Amino acid sequence: MNPRYLLFEIRILIRNSRFLIFTVALPAVLFLVYSGIFGDQGENYPDGTPVRASLMVSMAAYGAMSAAFSTSSLIAVERGLGWQRQLRLTPLTGTGYLLTKTALAMLLAVPAILIVSVLGAVMGVRLDAGQWLAVTAGLWLAVLPFTVLGLVIGQFVTPESQQPVTSAVTIVLGLVGGLWIPAEVVPEWMQTIMKATPTYWLREVGHSAFAPHPAIGTAVAVLGAYAAAAALIAARRYSRDAARV
Amino acid sequence: MSEMQKDGAAVSLSGLRKRYGDVRAVDGVDLTVAPGEVVALLGPNGAGKSTTVDMILGLTRPDEGTARVFGRSPEEAIRSGAIGAMLQSGALRDNATVAETVGIMAALHGRPGRTRAVLEQVGLTDIANTRTNKLSGGQKQRVRFALALVSEPDLLILDEPTVAMDVSIRRDFWRAMRDYTSAGRTVIFATHYLEEAESYADRVVLMRSGRVVADGTVAQVRAAASGRTLRAVVPGVGTDELERLPGVTGADVRAGRVVLSCADSDATVRALLSRYPDAADIEITAVNLEDAFLTLTAEPALAGGEAR
Repeated sequence: MNPRYLLFEIRILIRNSRFLIFTVALPAVLFLVYSGIFGDQGENYPDGTPVRASLMVSMAAYGAMSAAFSTSSLIAVERGLGWQRQLRLTPLTGTGYLLTKTALAMLLAVPAILIVSVLGAVMGVRLDAGQWLAVTAGLWLAVLPFTVLGLVIGQFVTPESQQPVTSAVTIVLGLVGGLWIPAEVVPEWMQTIMKATPTYWLREVGHSAFAPHPAIGTAVAVLGAYAAAAALIAARRYSRDAARV
Repeated sequence: MSEMQKDGAAVSLSGLRKRYGDVRAVDGVDLTVAPGEVVALLGPNGAGKSTTVDMILGLTRPDEGTARVFGRSPEEAIRSGAIGAMLQSGALRDNATVAETVGIMAALHGRPGRTRAVLEQVGLTDIANTRTNKLSGGQKQRVRFALALVSEPDLLILDEPTVAMDVSIRRDFWRAMRDYTSAGRTVIFATHYLEEAESYADRVVLMRSGRVVADGTVAQVRAAASGRTLRAVVPGVGTDELERLPGVTGADVRAGRVVLSCADSDATVRALLSRYPDAADIEITAVNLEDAFLTLTAEPALAGGEAR
């Protein structure tokens, strides 16, 4: 990673306030809507997981995932502009470029998680300090594979197709991963499918602070595998695709 | 492989080939550029200029053949800052100022101190704090020129550098380029403007369909398609017969008129009039670089199709 280049990217991103607000605000709004609809339908899911805290985790996870994927549009546009080709004419390596983008996505995930968490506290989610830390830091670390997945998408799509592709991936992973329909309320065969997605395990990490039986070891293994696979694809694609877009 | 490459060459391409699907974008290019040469890569769209440039820069890997820059691989040359390039596409980020854009490239080359000097050199100091999306086309082009110069490269590659510039800006651009090359740097620029090749290059490399079809000084390239062009109306005669006239190197029909490329136009015109007394409206002109360019870069299939 190149800290100077990261700083350059951060500065540009801050100036793009519309992009920032949309990435961070949408999950927050959705959380408010969801907790309005479902928040009062009982304190706990059948397995004992508190509903409102779980909704908060789901929407924070959704926000973190959106933030993580947001680099895909940035990368697609940079490829379209020829900026990436210009960077290839400097000593910056492909790994350096991709790690910088990963770091940028990780930074974007911070406000996405924090805003939903603050709203959660306001809406009556009660956790102790250690649990808050576990939820926020846990989600933040667990979103890493999604940032790498964002790189993969960005390296493949065009500036025109990036928006629908990224939205589709977000919706499929969110839906199948149980961010909008909680795994606690679906039949077991559906849970099995959910467990194949990284999103399920992202939520599981967020849950681990307060859920009765967290499977944190499996979560780390699955998320790690996704991150490694995505990193491999992103790196290979970067080294091959220097074409004019 | 190494024996094919001339020692001390700035750029040495041997047997370079690249295909995209069925299209042979570059189809066997051999080229050696000596340090200090200013070379124009001239050719119509789709001639393979940009693909060749991409392979010199290491942005595209050749299917066959090798590209070496100062005896090293393109990647190594890039890493050491020996190559600077101005690419065809925008390459500028919205929301970044001119100084930030030049600054980050300087920093990535490990030479953050170069920023100010480059901005001055290219005349960007006044607009250093302007965001690049607020610049005019000519100003943007200057920023991209600055990016190419930031590592003080020994080899400068410009892919259609003046394509979006109006005439006066174009002249300024080439003046800045001249200043830079007077220090003995090597320049390769791709263009389809003949007058740019004629005015600024020591050497012209003409490309067509992925191959080099002519290579030499402007005078030499003009001579390669030398002689004269004879135009006339000759009723009822095919190009096959006309090609057999003495002194003719090529025949074509354009807009109802016969166009003969002649090595010896005096012999041709005598024979033409004696064999075809109907021939009228005869016009003989000297070949200029534009004709040479058209002759050498014309698609053979197309010329044949028109003649029939």
